[in-house]
Amino acid sequence: MRDLGGRETARSDLVLFVGCVILALLALALPRPWAASLTATIRETALRPVVAMQSRAVSERTSRQGLKALEHNRDSLALLVQDFATVSHENANLRELLALRPRLSRPYLSAEILHQSAATDDRVALLGVGSADGVQQFDPIVTAEGLIGYVWSVGARSSSAYTWAHPEFRAAAVTGDGRVTGLVSPSSSTDASRAVLQLRGVALRDSLVIGTAVYTSGLGGVFPRGIPIGRISAIERDQFGYERVYRVTPFAHPALSTHVLVLISPRDSLFIALPKPDSVIRADSLRVVDSLRQRVDTQPRPDSLP
Amino acid sequence: MSSVWTGEGPKRRRSSDKFRVTVVIAGLLLLEFYLRPSLMEGRGMPDFLMLALLLIAIRQRPGTAAMTGFVVGFVVDVLTPARFGAGILASVLVGWGASYGRSVFFADNLVVTAAVFFAGTWVRNLLILLLSGTPSGHLLSEALVWAPLQGVTTAAVGVVIVILFRDWLAIRIDR
Repeated sequence: MRDLGGRETARSDLVLFVGCVILALLALALPRPWAASLTATIRETALRPVVAMQSRAVSERTSRQGLKALEHNRDSLALLVQDFATVSHENANLRELLALRPRLSRPYLSAEILHQSAATDDRVALLGVGSADGVQQFDPIVTAEGLIGYVWSVGARSSSAYTWAHPEFRAAAVTGDGRVTGLVSPSSSTDASRAVLQLRGVALRDSLVIGTAVYTSGLGGVFPRGIPIGRISAIERDQFGYERVYRVTPFAHPALSTHVLVLISPRDSLFIALPKPDSVIRADSLRVVDSLRQRVDTQPRPDSLP
Repeated sequence: MSSVWTGEGPKRRRSSDKFRVTVVIAGLLLLEFYLRPSLMEGRGMPDFLMLALLLIAIRQRPGTAAMTGFVVGFVVDVLTPARFGAGILASVLVGWGASYGRSVFFADNLVVTAAVFFAGTWVRNLLILLLSGTPSGHLLSEALVWAPLQGVTTAAVGVVIVILFRDWLAIRIDR
């Protein structure tokens, strides 16, 4: 056994321990926005080499191991694109006939999740992109399979994101047919062996079949409409009996995802682009023309003069 | 009985030991932040950062171990801020506990050292999950499946490192 070096040393050890615990408790009590900005600052300064090294390691692994998967994805996409061209043309024609505005595109950034070995890694993901790349707070994060979460704290070169497994995650949801809406949140059920979601707020008159797909509804202004969330896998019991609650098995899992897409603005499907500057000028000039015509109309004509 | 450095010896040897320990810890950091993300991904992977903390804790005084735990926890919280402060508190408690336990209770034995690595990782994960407000259902699976799995893998790697670098780390192991 090791000698602690006497009572004096033991006392200094105790003082150090108590000091560290007090600092840790202060950190726990720190308001969340302050903690977010503090962690973002430290990630961008002291830990920047660590984040950069990890980002590079993930890129290297992808280039080694992901090549085959990328080839498969590219082949599948090539087939899809062939069909998509015709459908897209038909869609544009129909929209033109119905006088509908063109569908909004969703600009995105590709990013990598830098997984950590902490137990909460599936709840908070570290991304290798930041505000210098165009990422903003609350930008949605998706994969090809479905929704992952949203950006919570943004640094210049990295950002942290809350995934759907985070206790504070919420997303307005709708079924594929648009009939039933609700709110998706992490499940608090004790009989779920792994992290799943639950769909709450479904009216008692509505019922859903097991296997129904659930999508984001676009309400709330964070997630655009139509991102796949998951599939109804079970019916849960609401302890008050005021609503129907369903368990949703997500399509995408944060712990198994490495490459994600960060959807940058416009983030809301209800977003309507402002008129272009030339159209505004044209409207103003039309107004001027109208007023001139009115003035001309009100003036007496030369032939009516006595 | 195979034993190494007993804490006695010339100061020159101690300074070279410090350098060797720094090399081992730097190697573990490289494993955590470069080799692990470069080679493998997934849950239950060994936590090299935690291993570095425990290796320092079992050969240092409790106060130093608590301070090391503070630094390690701070790094964890900055990189995965599920709840800022949770990782710090958990790492401080585990670091101090490992050092204090090693000096007072635990024998210098390879199995016991492996058990310290396992228990340290498991308890740290459990504390972080509890402090960050994990829902009860998720907490159960994490505490009984994933945290022990990570504890086992971390302990396995830790035993290999202790066997390979016991002279460098100045960890005495009685058989």
